[in-house]
Amino acid sequence: MNESCLILSFTIPLIAALLIPLLSRGSSRVPVDVLAVAVSIANGTIACIMLGETATVSLPWLGEKIELAFRLAPFNSLILAGIAFFGIVLAVYSIGFLRDDSHWAQYYLYFLLTIGFANGAAVADNLVLLLFFWEGLLIPLFGFIVIGRPEAFRTAVKALIIAGVCDLAMAIGAGILFCGPWQLTFSRLTQPIAIEGAAAVAFVLLIIGAIAKAGSMPFHTWIPDAAVDAPLPFMALVPAAIEKLLGIYFLGRLTLDIFKLEEGSWASYLLMIIGALTILAAVMMALVQKDYKKLLAYHAISQVGYMILGIGTALPAGIIGGLFHMFNNAIYKCCLFLTGGAIEKQTGSTDLKKLGGLASRMPVTFACFFVAACSISGVPPFNGFFSKELIYDGALERHWIFYALALLGSFFTAASFLKLGHAAYWGPRSEENDKISEAPLSMLLPMLSLAAVCVFFGLFNQLPIGKLETVLGVVRTNGRHFAGWPASSMLIGLTFIGLTAAILNHLFGVKRSGSGLGASDHFHHAPILETMYARAELRKFDPYEWGLKSADVLAHWFWSLDRAIDWFLEAILCERTLDLSHTLSLIHRGSYTLYLFWCISGGVLVVLYLMNSL
Amino acid sequence: MSSTLLLAAVLVPVLGSPVLPLIGSYSERARNLSALVLVLISLAASTALLPVIRTGENVFTGSVLSLGPTIFHADMLAVFMAIVSIIVGAIIVFYSFGYIQSFDHRDEYYFVVVLFLGAMMGLIYANNLIILYLFWEITAFACWRLIGFFREDKQVLKANKAFLITMFGSLVMLIGFLMIYSQTGTFDLNLIKEQLKNTPVSNGAVILILFGILSKSATLPFHTWLPDAGVAPSPVTALLHAAVLVKIGVYVFARLFVATMSIDPIWHTFVPWIAGVSSMVSAGAALLENDMKRIIAYSTISQLGFIFLGLSIGNEIGIVGGLLYILMHSLAKGGLFLCAGIVEHGTHTKDITKMGGLASSMPVTTGAFLVCALSVMGIPPFGGFFSKFLVLAGAVKSNQYALAAVFFIGAVFTMLYLTRLFVMIFLGEARGQSAHEGTPEMVVSVALLGILSLAGGLFVHIPLNYLHATTRMLLGGS
Repeated sequence: MNESCLILSFTIPLIAALLIPLLSRGSSRVPVDVLAVAVSIANGTIACIMLGETATVSLPWLGEKIELAFRLAPFNSLILAGIAFFGIVLAVYSIGFLRDDSHWAQYYLYFLLTIGFANGAAVADNLVLLLFFWEGLLIPLFGFIVIGRPEAFRTAVKALIIAGVCDLAMAIGAGILFCGPWQLTFSRLTQPIAIEGAAAVAFVLLIIGAIAKAGSMPFHTWIPDAAVDAPLPFMALVPAAIEKLLGIYFLGRLTLDIFKLEEGSWASYLLMIIGALTILAAVMMALVQKDYKKLLAYHAISQVGYMILGIGTALPAGIIGGLFHMFNNAIYKCCLFLTGGAIEKQTGSTDLKKLGGLASRMPVTFACFFVAACSISGVPPFNGFFSKELIYDGALERHWIFYALALLGSFFTAASFLKLGHAAYWGPRSEENDKISEAPLSMLLPMLSLAAVCVFFGLFNQLPIGKLETVLGVVRTNGRHFAGWPASSMLIGLTFIGLTAAILNHLFGVKRSGSGLGASDHFHHAPILETMYARAELRKFDPYEWGLKSADVLAHWFWSLDRAIDWFLEAILCERTLDLSHTLSLIHRGSYTLYLFWCISGGVLVVLYLMNSL
Repeated sequence: MSSTLLLAAVLVPVLGSPVLPLIGSYSERARNLSALVLVLISLAASTALLPVIRTGENVFTGSVLSLGPTIFHADMLAVFMAIVSIIVGAIIVFYSFGYIQSFDHRDEYYFVVVLFLGAMMGLIYANNLIILYLFWEITAFACWRLIGFFREDKQVLKANKAFLITMFGSLVMLIGFLMIYSQTGTFDLNLIKEQLKNTPVSNGAVILILFGILSKSATLPFHTWLPDAGVAPSPVTALLHAAVLVKIGVYVFARLFVATMSIDPIWHTFVPWIAGVSSMVSAGAALLENDMKRIIAYSTISQLGFIFLGLSIGNEIGIVGGLLYILMHSLAKGGLFLCAGIVEHGTHTKDITKMGGLASSMPVTTGAFLVCALSVMGIPPFGGFFSKFLVLAGAVKSNQYALAAVFFIGAVFTMLYLTRLFVMIFLGEARGQSAHEGTPEMVVSVALLGILSLAGGLFVHIPLNYLHATTRMLLGGS
């Protein structure tokens, strides 16, 4: 039973995706909508059946270490449940959102492909098989962004190149393990691989793939661009939810089962540094954004930092916190993007300058936003509070500096959501927005269910945390339990101080600038930060731009080398040969006397030779 | 029976090709169909050999002119190569029905194309260095005639360039063959294999033969004829410069230096490095070109580097990857050139800066192009992913990390220039006049190659199991 569910989890969406071009022939959109919702529900049912179960399917495939191995374990059954949940939510939401979009058929094609490939990656038990599904996700990623605004293809290319290069690095990492004495099927590894020598290179390359999928720095720069260019439900489904789940899931597998990540090792510090820098740099960018979706996109990056920091600590509290944060973030970030979508749908804009005072016109949307924003800012009793406290706990045990950076990140997170909420939902309302109404029910239901989960996972956090404790196992957790109110009152105290500081800062900013939108201007125009922000606006810090520039320089060198070789071949080989044949052609130009001369000279030479040899 | 099949695979297209112009003077349709039938007979003959050689048995034909005990010989490697070449060849002939009908000299076109495919079969099945050389030069002649098909000064000049460079290489290679003869006293590959069982072949001979191989397979520093040859009709470029002709060099490398002789270990480092530099340099050039066909041609040079890497790295994984790469690249790159042909037919230009937004007017071509491009980039579920993975794993297996890094750069460039190409042709604003989709034959051909690229990825275990067996046989035998 579980075995067939395992296979069905990715085959149903992929096969259904292939049906979309056939179903979208007619003018009616109903068949496609029904198919997408039906597949999502079927997928959800399968995920519920498999939740917490174990199963293994293993077939020979390419020989040696590369087999068609699928495995269901407590950890990935949670991921499957997450993917299925977001699938249902987004399938319902998209019906309303895409009502007037001409690309709806393509959208659902990519939607189902994403679900299928993501499920496949989650259940794959072999590294090459995982890569197969993992890189397959690039196709719907590219497609999703292309069907956005007319100029969106530039962002699509950017996303494809960044993700493609990182996946290629991952493929080489897999190649190193493939050639070494290690197994590629995870469940066949008798013990985790020590991170040293060639395995260390493989570890770093595979980590690049994992954190790039999750959207960590420095592989993040396509996400804010996509927030503006791509269809909004895509942002909620892929960068906010599924990519986070998959990226952090794989990071978790890498550091927990596949490699042996020890506390205090360089690899652990590397992850923690990446995590802390990502938290801070991305949230600083989020703080000054003037667009609803772009602001959320930078937070989507910043939150990954917490997960990487938590897992990087290699301590049980940090790991459980990081994994719990992965689920929490997917839920509230998805919800936040959906509120953005509702606003975009009803007002036609996500530019914060044009918004304001929407709370009374869209009360349900505002309520959902409020819950999700409290969660992401770490306000108790919502879910984000509990996962962040666990991460703080782990980070503080390793070094106070990581804790301090994470806490500073939380301060800015809260500050930017105060600003966002103020600018969009409070304050004066423009005349055009006076007549708008609440979003349709098909869009409200998904948002409400996500907000409900935020509350539920906060109040009953022992439920998800208990599941994650089984993932880690009794040996790793030492029998400790992590659910419930955080043990350290100092951590709680500092969190409250941070939140209070954010509120005071907001009041200060509003008073200084006179509007909610300008609440962060005193940071934006601070002495050093102002030049940094100006440069960031010009994409001076975008590694993708650096990469393209160096590729261009390299290409010019190669091009000159190529032309030099071509000149040499032309000048030496081709020209000289043609010259020679031209010269030789002079001796037989059809002149009778010349031919007679050659004949006689030849005859003479033959006679001379014969005489000589006689 | 088997040896008759073997002879049929080679001789039906070679001897049948001169008849095509005669048929053509009566009926165009009959000539086109006969050309396809000749190719399909050869395909059927090669396929019929599969069950025989799959058991590990080799098929030989008798001798002529006392050149050696056997002329042709079919083993797993040869049948694989023959089937790959002739399948792509058949699709290209079918595509030509639509493409070439608006040009002159159609009789000559079908004659030379079928002759070329026949010569390719002869070269693949040759078991004798002289026979191999003979067919090698027939392909060079056919290539020269086809590049200069439009007969204007510019085309003839490029055709001459291609002919002179490959001819220079092959003459140097012939000297290499003579050196092997002086070492072993025979041109017969089986006898050479026995003679050289314990001693590697002399380095002088290897380097001379490499001249021929590198020039035919358009590898640095003998590669620049290939982008220039884009002046030919598109099906020709697909046939010669993507799918079939350029694979001659890599095939002969596998035939001589993997299957027959052992070479000094230094070559397992030297040849991959040449391939790596070639792959990187041409990929860089592809990024700066604006001519659609030249970009794809540079891409071919770059991908040939990957094939060479796999075949020359000297371990089983690399060789399997290299051979799989030949299959996947032939399908995908053939598809890209044929798509380029449809685009050129529709827009009357090859300059990508003058194109854009063709996705809406050419949906099938766009889809096929994208699938083939993703396969060349090495993105699953398309076939190119597996071959690229195995080739890179081969480099890692030999602990050549620096080499793997060079190829990594090549692979990143591949992604850059192919997405650039796709975006500039098919996406964005339409520039210039609107184009229309190609003729049914042309569209079916590209769609077929796209589907094969996908099937190659989904059912990769079928060719891969075959190639594993092939490689074990090759390595076990030498």
